[in-house]
Amino acid sequence: MEEGQIIPNDTEQNILPQNQKKQLTKRERKLLKKQKLDNIALEQKKQSQKKSFLWLFVVILIGGSILGIGWLSQSKSNQTPLPLIDKISSNDHIKGSPDAKNILVEYSDFQCPACRQYYLLLKRVSEELGNKVQIVYRNFPLTSIHRNASLAARAAEAAGVQGKFWEMHDQIFENQSSWSESTNPRSLFNSYAENIGLNLEQFKQDIESSQVKDKVNKDYNSGIQAGVPGTPTFFLNGEKINTPRSYDEFRSILE
Amino acid sequence: MNLEASSNNIKQWTVITMLIISFLGFLDATYLTVEHFMGAVPNCSIIKGCDIVATSQYATIGTIPIALLGSLYYLSIFLLSIVYLDTKRESFLFLASRIPLAGFFVSLYLIYLQIFVLKAICMYCMISAISSTLLFIMGIYIVKSNGHKFLKIK
Repeated sequence: MEEGQIIPNDTEQNILPQNQKKQLTKRERKLLKKQKLDNIALEQKKQSQKKSFLWLFVVILIGGSILGIGWLSQSKSNQTPLPLIDKISSNDHIKGSPDAKNILVEYSDFQCPACRQYYLLLKRVSEELGNKVQIVYRNFPLTSIHRNASLAARAAEAAGVQGKFWEMHDQIFENQSSWSESTNPRSLFNSYAENIGLNLEQFKQDIESSQVKDKVNKDYNSGIQAGVPGTPTFFLNGEKINTPRSYDEFRSILE
Repeated sequence: MNLEASSNNIKQWTVITMLIISFLGFLDATYLTVEHFMGAVPNCSIIKGCDIVATSQYATIGTIPIALLGSLYYLSIFLLSIVYLDTKRESFLFLASRIPLAGFFVSLYLIYLQIFVLKAICMYCMISAISSTLLFIMGIYIVKSNGHKFLKIK
């Protein structure tokens, strides 16, 4: 306020001396107004700072969440390889040359659509790299989401008793869409058994036998022990691998 | 005055609840979106049960995954709620409470697809359906308790 008094407006004072008092209050008012404006500006500055902090926080929160989810999803697929606990035995179904340096163990569910896709892929792999790789099929039926998966596994194992596991395996995958949600899958499996020339009576007996049921359970339990999270899961030479995304990727890890 | 203050308080809580639910919905939908683009490896698992749902023809519109649309849907409600809390301008709350009314019917259709068409249920999609339903309820609540005010907005 004093500042205002030190710098008086001379011309105004000379012309209108009687208004000095009024003029001073006017100045005071001006100053007050200026101060008020300053305060408001300061307040606004604080407010806008608060706002920018808020939006900075929102941006960090959203960006962080997206990155976090991406990181989680990435690390999930890059888990440390799990060792296969149950070693390959004569009870396993093995395709390919016994001299092959690579042994690929697949935990699979006949009713899983993804397993069917990998069936087609592996078929090409074994046709083209037959002498370089041994493929072992193990049952991992997800019975809680696939109602006919367990019976399908038993059908393949029952065909295995007559030495035609892989033929039945192919039939079951080829016809996945027909039997998956069927209310009478047995008749379909019987027809596949006939297609590949099995003794139907024996097949019908074997599919109910404890030997076949035990084999499916043993496969499943070995998968649980090895920490199989879903199907298909592949183990290459005893270690879990990330499921290859394409035929070329498969080929490159097997060559 | 007191009455107004308490109704304001309730509103504040509803908006904060909307904020939290929409954020959870956003996390859920974003997870599915990220999985769609990064986790291209199809597989079956008991925990997810999403194999059929996430790889079905209904999971995308053209090349855009529905999960991405869901993600943007929740994000828009989340941001509108924040803008409302920041500015206190009713028009933002108006929008944030009306969008879930449409979102709810989309969710109903997606649940119908899962149960009756695909006959498979994906847990993450169900979480999204639950959060969308909760947002719908909050939306109705806000519209009901503030309806008369919204009418005055130019």
